[in-house]
Amino acid sequence: MDEEPERTKRWEGGYERTWEVLKEDESGSLKATVEDILFKDKRKRVFENYGQVRLGMMRHLFVVIDTSRTMEDQDLKPNRLTSTLKLMEYFVDEYFDQNPISQIGIIITKNKRAEKLTDLAGNPQKHISALKKAVDTTCAGEPSLYNSLNLAMHTLKHMPGHTSREVLVIFSSLTTCDPSNIYDLIKTLKGLKIRVSVIGLSAEVRVCTILTRETGGTYHVILDETHFRELLTFHVKPPPASSSSECSLIRMGFPQHAIASVSDQDSKPSFSMSHLDNSSGPGLTLGGYYCPQCRAKYTELPVECKVCGLTLVSAPHLARSFHHLFPMDAFQEMPLEEFEGERFCEACQGELKDKSVFICSVCSSAFCVECDLFIHDTLHCCPSCIHSQMVPSTWLTD
Amino acid sequence: MASEDEVSLLVVVVDVNPIWWGQQAQREPEFTLSKCLDSVMVMGNSHLVMNRTNKLAIIASHCQESHFLYPSKHWKAGDAAGDDAVSSSRDGKYEVLAVTNDQISEEVRNLMARTEVKGHQTDTLLAGSLAKALCSGQEMKSRILVIKAAEDCALQYMNFMNVIFAAQKNSIVIDACVLATDSGLLQQACDITGGLYLKIPQKSALAQYLLWVFLPDANQRSQLVLPPPVHVDYRAACFCHRNLIEIGYVCSVCLSIFCNFSPICTTCETAFKIPLPQMVKPKKKKLKPAT
Repeated sequence: MDEEPERTKRWEGGYERTWEVLKEDESGSLKATVEDILFKDKRKRVFENYGQVRLGMMRHLFVVIDTSRTMEDQDLKPNRLTSTLKLMEYFVDEYFDQNPISQIGIIITKNKRAEKLTDLAGNPQKHISALKKAVDTTCAGEPSLYNSLNLAMHTLKHMPGHTSREVLVIFSSLTTCDPSNIYDLIKTLKGLKIRVSVIGLSAEVRVCTILTRETGGTYHVILDETHFRELLTFHVKPPPASSSSECSLIRMGFPQHAIASVSDQDSKPSFSMSHLDNSSGPGLTLGGYYCPQCRAKYTELPVECKVCGLTLVSAPHLARSFHHLFPMDAFQEMPLEEFEGERFCEACQGELKDKSVFICSVCSSAFCVECDLFIHDTLHCCPSCIHSQMVPSTWLTD
Repeated sequence: MASEDEVSLLVVVVDVNPIWWGQQAQREPEFTLSKCLDSVMVMGNSHLVMNRTNKLAIIASHCQESHFLYPSKHWKAGDAAGDDAVSSSRDGKYEVLAVTNDQISEEVRNLMARTEVKGHQTDTLLAGSLAKALCSGQEMKSRILVIKAAEDCALQYMNFMNVIFAAQKNSIVIDACVLATDSGLLQQACDITGGLYLKIPQKSALAQYLLWVFLPDANQRSQLVLPPPVHVDYRAACFCHRNLIEIGYVCSVCLSIFCNFSPICTTCETAFKIPLPQMVKPKKKKLKPAT
């Protein structure tokens, strides 16, 4: 195993004088510094613009949640388990929002064993209801990193080559109980191109460092709940695809939505294939999506048809991933005094009052701080640039 | 009833494409752009009157720019009192409404007078106007009403979809009131954000439709009988022929859609692995030695 030079630990570095960050102005107030810190907070986005790198759009992600004894610790309110499960619900929502054609599965580990909470699926509701029910589980015993990774690997190794295979481990304990050598498992994971990332809740554990380094993932330890949320958000974005992942044409179906009302003579209520496993309620519905190949009915997309195996999506689901392929450049920050031109934000028409304005490098329009954040996080296109009608289009629908 | 402190913003995006409206003036002289804006002003006034904390914004969507007709940044609060010569009669009229109407008519006159239409830019910049509407409605509960006149512009598809997803994420409802031809983009927008789509059968009754269908906000719509949802065609168009297809092949790298299998993706030029049928090894039968 290669030994890369490890980063120096914090206690090995020099002496830092952290109190010097705060500066008082003439009247002795800290207001200017506090505003500065708040302003920087608003702008604190990890701006990893990968540029023209191929991204793994169809992702199969397993989340391993440690439910061992240490999760009952109350350093995250009300306890680590409840806080983690709440953030996981947020993560599942955001993940399916940004990657609509991907799938997630959840594994929990405790008492030296690992079990699947939910299987790999593309429907967020199933995962969220399972997470809500899991709040009542008792945290006991030690986690087993080997068993959980083994369980994830058994499912992921059958996934097609063009998808990205990932595991995210939320690891709170400082120990793990494994039935055999974990370094062999790490070698196998590396061979199967499965990328493992870890979010630690207690402290840095060496086996996790090696695991993530070998498989190409990231390892972070949280500082507090806000930091935990930020780290989870970082994993929502699609990672760069490894060079050896295959590219292929995936056959997909685009079903029509049949809306029928009770007054329609021809419409008959029928069962949806996705509810066959549910015992809750009869599940008869009038309208739905019909698979173009086998005419099986489903109530929601995206879904994989149980009868014929065709992946069913709708065109907006693919369109939602486009902004990853054409990422926006960051705007240039300029102090308000240097800016010439009308002191109005182009997007919201409000007056520019913050200490800096943001200029788009293409169309040179000015934006305020909130609009800049909104444009980069949610909108993904500059409101002034799209007025120029010179935007290239890659695919169009009617 | 909404609570007293809740600010609710209505943004009306009006399509003022001069080419379409010019042709419309020749087709049907009784319904022109000024009549349309009169109806919009009636609706805007009604919205402001419904609740003290309601706010209004009107954006004109032109071929070259999107301009905020109201609130206009060139008018400051004190100016309105001095301009008696230009304004309409104010006896007994609520001042806010009078100022609003004056600003709108002044701004739209300036907009139409100063912009020149160049030959190749004939499509309304609807995506851009919607983006500006979204940015202006960030801090408060808001909804957007689009009054569409001209046809769809296919070049704006990607920006349009970005705007729709941003609106859905911030729970902003997009309603559409279509005057002439059906618009697939707006149908998708209304379906995804949960808004109302209506193609008006009679243009001269625009004010009626605006007040009866589009004035109530999202909370009250469950108690009204509104036009039924339209059937939205979510099929994708293949990249090679632009036909709508039900089953297609999607490139895993750039997500472009093809109707037939091809060894190379034309958008991102990746070569694909062609799945070959598996080789079946003939099984050797062991011959039992004859006894």
